[in-house]
Amino acid sequence: MNMKDVKAIGARLSPGQKGRTSVIDADTVRELSELLNETGLTEIEIEQNGARIRVARLPNGRVPLHGEMPAAATQTPPSTEARKEPARGAVTSPMVGTVYIAPEPGAQPFVKVGQTVAEGDTLLIVEAMKTMNPITAPHAGVVTEVCVADAEPVEFGQTLIVIS
Amino acid sequence: MFDKVLIANRGEIALRINRACKEMGISTVAIHSTADAEAMHVRLADESVCVGPPPAAQSYMNIPAIISACEITGAEAIHPGYGFLSENARFAEIVKEHGITFIGPEPEHIRLMGDKIAAKQAVKNVGIPTVPGSGGAVGSDSDAVRIAREIGFPVLIKAASGGGGRGMKVAQKEADLPLALTTARAEAKTAFGDDTVYLEKYLSKPRHIEVQVLADRQGNVIHLGERDCSLQRRHQKLWEEAGSPALNDVERSDIGQVVARALKKLGYLGAGTVEFLFEDGRFFFIEMNTRLQVEHPVTEAITGIDIVREQIRIAAGSPLELAQSDITFAGHAIECRINAENPFTFQPSPGIITQFHPPGGLGVRFDSAMYTGYRIPPYYDSLAGKLVVHGRNRNECLMRLRRALDELVVGGIETTIPLFQRLVRERDVLDGDYHIHWLEQYLAGKGA
Repeated sequence: MNMKDVKAIGARLSPGQKGRTSVIDADTVRELSELLNETGLTEIEIEQNGARIRVARLPNGRVPLHGEMPAAATQTPPSTEARKEPARGAVTSPMVGTVYIAPEPGAQPFVKVGQTVAEGDTLLIVEAMKTMNPITAPHAGVVTEVCVADAEPVEFGQTLIVIS
Repeated sequence: MFDKVLIANRGEIALRINRACKEMGISTVAIHSTADAEAMHVRLADESVCVGPPPAAQSYMNIPAIISACEITGAEAIHPGYGFLSENARFAEIVKEHGITFIGPEPEHIRLMGDKIAAKQAVKNVGIPTVPGSGGAVGSDSDAVRIAREIGFPVLIKAASGGGGRGMKVAQKEADLPLALTTARAEAKTAFGDDTVYLEKYLSKPRHIEVQVLADRQGNVIHLGERDCSLQRRHQKLWEEAGSPALNDVERSDIGQVVARALKKLGYLGAGTVEFLFEDGRFFFIEMNTRLQVEHPVTEAITGIDIVREQIRIAAGSPLELAQSDITFAGHAIECRINAENPFTFQPSPGIITQFHPPGGLGVRFDSAMYTGYRIPPYYDSLAGKLVVHGRNRNECLMRLRRALDELVVGGIETTIPLFQRLVRERDVLDGDYHIHWLEQYLAGKGA
């Protein structure tokens, strides 16, 4: 589209059309919208002989409104996992504490991604108030995701590991 | 002063505590059950920790989870709010053992005041007037009859491990006593695990008047005046006033002094409220609450003192900034506890708030965790919000309350707003002429 086309659109707004000086037809709006997209402009307004039409694009990104409701502040940064429904095969923390992925600092992790585990195998430890609580596999399967880092604080219901 | 405080509660009081902490520059940690993940205090706190599934026993009263939450966030102190673990002496001890400050009294005083017989004896020893009664637990039925004859009928049988209006039975005359005793014991055993009961004289038309105190670690104790909480339904307060319409300045000062002096002797620490029945110009101690109370805002309104802030300062070891002579009472305040319940049947009404508009303007405060789109969960108490109104005198306060109630909008659930709209137009309420049975008699008369 080019300026010749814009002029053509403008011409349609001319009061020359019988009894339709203030009617904007859908074609005009559609063409202006296409022009908007092609040029990357955010707003186009044309006026001719008393008739005016304006087409504008709303901002894509979320503009923070004054006084907008604050989102939940979560304790651990990968925030929303504890909030959503856990994925199938997700093993969630039954308590608040600190998760350890290995039996001791520097030792090999209990499990790795891709590893096959049997029901009852120890996956992680959650330490709460100086007691170590082993988290075991509720069913046999393959570890598809380890969602926590070593010595990370965890909350009740937080997804720790996913076993397919 | 603490850098970080964990709020071991939910709903409007968790938000209240968050507000005080924020104004003091203290970081906050909100704990919550899975049902409260979208709660306002969770959204506004600096950090949040999910501590368990919806049932309170597994979340808000889950001591290991709460301690753990402190450990992983580095919170130095816990504010227990009201209800839940706020008067659990064992919890206070465990918190202390973990090197965390419990924002409240010493465990020994929590324990003392939790035992209603021991509490009565302890306050009697330090000069607080008590209801004539058995003094201690009643043993046999014949003992009970003898004591009741001395006190004079009607008598009230109370559970030693009860409190908050629960575990009480009236015996109007001697013939009623044996059955009332048996029933009371059985109910106490079921509800509190302890069938120990004691007797008190039953007062026919008393008012419920309570005195707010603050005590610091340096032994300073001041009172912040009284609240009249006579309008109750099933022993739950619905409407509270500061000061009581029944007291004059001399009576107010007298009872305040008696209470402050007594708690100083006891070595009390923190905020507390001593509750009395008041009849024929005389005060009778019923119990002491060793925690922040729901209705504390009416005291804040007439004194200008932030009670939660004082609790935190006291817990951090700061001395009280004000002496008794600095405390002044300005105007009058009334609080209406708006519940998410049907205003006639009181059937709970959890659900989604589709529209929410709190009233505003001079002298109007609305403490609530509600917001448009919030879903009130069915697992906890039904308090939706507290409307607290202040005026330069009681009449202005009542006019303002009427206006504020008419402006308050809570859509999508049922609330008790209509009940308060009726009460604020009721002759006896306007005259301040009521007692602890008034509201139930009014509701019965209205066919509710």
